[in-house]
Amino acid sequence: MEGFDEIIHQSARLQIMAALNALDDDSQMEFSALRELLGLTDGNLATHLRKLEEAGYVAVEKTFVGRRPRTYLSLTPQGRQAFANHVRALREIIGSA
Amino acid sequence: MDAPSPQEAKEALALIEETTRRMRRAVAHGGAPYFLIIWGVVWLLGFGGAHFIGPNNAHTGWLWAILDTLGVLASFGVGWRLGRRVRSRNGGGALLGAFWLAWVFYAALIIAFARPQSGDQLSLLISLFAMMGYVTTGLLYRSTFITTLGMVVTLFILAGYLLFLPYFNLWMAFLGGGSLIVAGVYVLQTWR
Repeated sequence: MEGFDEIIHQSARLQIMAALNALDDDSQMEFSALRELLGLTDGNLATHLRKLEEAGYVAVEKTFVGRRPRTYLSLTPQGRQAFANHVRALREIIGSA
Repeated sequence: MDAPSPQEAKEALALIEETTRRMRRAVAHGGAPYFLIIWGVVWLLGFGGAHFIGPNNAHTGWLWAILDTLGVLASFGVGWRLGRRVRSRNGGGALLGAFWLAWVFYAALIIAFARPQSGDQLSLLISLFAMMGYVTTGLLYRSTFITTLGMVVTLFILAGYLLFLPYFNLWMAFLGGGSLIVAGVYVLQTWR
């Protein structure tokens, strides 16, 4: 199935991609805010983010606010395209049934 | 991995839709309920105080000055906290803050030159300017809820001033401030 993406399709990663895709192109979400929104643990979210980052779908930016480290996340253009293709593939599966 | 069945695809799309909806609410409306509650409490105490102290009493002016200062500080606190969670490279949150500061500045200038004849007229103008800000913000952010809320409270303001002037401040405390608080609590309860 063209556009169907095994990396994205896993449930937690699908939610991460959907959440970050809902942001504007120039916006980033803080790690803990995404964790709270999706109800994932630190370790679980970090593991899935690593996989998405390795695929080139998620950009991770580590920075400091005052003395506190913060991690900001966003979709890369490649990630947005892959997510759009994946959604289209899912719709085609439903349409062809 | 094989392609999912139509049922699995449907469930995946439903999950995407639900997550997208939650995210948009958290980002676009994440701060709205807190701002509504903060300013609802300011109106409730300010207008309530004005009714009991007297709208033309000097103490009423001080009460409003203190409450407005607390409201602005609380709003900046909420805005700063929200800005840490989602940040925009083009400074979207800061832009909204600047929009409201400019709004307050020009409203204050216009009201100062308009020289309202009474405390009630001053309350009317400030309330209308505030709701103009709500409606404009709602339109800018494509939030039907905020736009509608601004219009409904505007109707309350006009009805209170034109039909119940002796009780205008009390009316504004409960129907103006109360509406903002109820709307804020409603959003907190339902948009999560």
